Amino acid sequence: MTLTESAAWTPSAPAPAVALGVDDRIVAAALVCISRWGLAKTTLDDVARQAQCSRATVYRAFPGGKDALVQSVAQGEVARVAAAVTGRFAGADTLADLLTAGLAEAARQLVRHPALAFVVAHEPEAIVPWLAFERGEELLAFATSLAAPHLGRFLPSAEARRAAEWAARVLLSFCVCPASGVDLTDDASARSVVTTFLLPGLAPDR
Amino acid sequence: MTGDLRDHILEGTYACIARHGMAKTTVEDVARQANISRATVYRYFPGGKEQLLRDTVTWEASRFFEQLAAATAGAADFATLLEEALLFAHRAVGEHEVLQKMLQTEPATLLSRLTIGGDRLVRLIKAWLAPHLVSARLRPGVTVESAGEYLARMMLSFIGAQGQWDLTDRAQVAMLVRTEFLAGILESSP
Repeated sequence: MTLTESAAWTPSAPAPAVALGVDDRIVAAALVCISRWGLAKTTLDDVARQAQCSRATVYRAFPGGKDALVQSVAQGEVARVAAAVTGRFAGADTLADLLTAGLAEAARQLVRHPALAFVVAHEPEAIVPWLAFERGEELLAFATSLAAPHLGRFLPSAEARRAAEWAARVLLSFCVCPASGVDLTDDASARSVVTTFLLPGLAPDR
Repeated sequence: MTGDLRDHILEGTYACIARHGMAKTTVEDVARQANISRATVYRYFPGGKEQLLRDTVTWEASRFFEQLAAATAGAADFATLLEEALLFAHRAVGEHEVLQKMLQTEPATLLSRLTIGGDRLVRLIKAWLAPHLVSARLRPGVTVESAGEYLARMMLSFIGAQGQWDLTDRAQVAMLVRTEFLAGILESSP
């Protein structure tokens, strides 16, 4: 069982809960367990203990067992990261600000994500298929659909779609394989990449 | 001489992977394929199977980029060189039988080696681009180092996924190179 077999990249937008329901508590507990022990070693017992509920409750909430639970965790995290990034788009007054804020926030979310960090370090085979070829295409398409409407504030729609995919490529490359001299989690470094390489290739009035 | 034997072992590993896949290939298979003892394989690759797989992926990637460099050697200018490289790489990846077989049967095994060795791929492409960048007129604030780093990553990204572009269409590729690859790098567009 891996993320790659179960995760769908369409984030379901969960309704904001005032108090965490039992499903949410179990998902949150599973996320903690994965950060600590990884995907392979996390058991439903661990999750139940972490969520302070019984195994039976976990099974009732996730009849599909661990696969279904991991899928919910992945969807929840994708939705949360997407919301954090698009939240930063809203405050941007220029194209440069929007690209910079989006790249830096996305980089921070990805690089500082404890569960993702564990999986990348110890179970890379669960995540790497998303980086290239068939699933790499899906990931780029997802990132494009997420960012393009916001870029559309400053660019014609075709150009906005192109810019969104381009920024996603830059983000993934520098997060997956860090370079000396570029740190996208740092606003100044992200801005330098945006103004040096991206802006000259974008035509607001095309 | 030692370099030759190392290459010979990598070649043997590649043949085994092509036949059995990465998961099923053993050090024993590689030794038999290369006509040497297991001890000799371990002398050159103390990390055993894992090192063999990783180094074979890098070795094949190096051969791939050598072919790419050869195929684009006659390009008239830097933009044309990048266009030819993208067209060639996209086609060659699609036609690479062993790579395509791995992507069907064991994508995670292959891709974890490719991305773990990602910095080596970036260095390979940077080394290929560096002489071209040295003789190019770069925009203020852009260096051979920073341009090479950026272009290598863009190249790898597009080899891995073409996204909304059609990398078999020369006109689209030319447009892509002019905008996303070089607009920020070259002083004046060719």
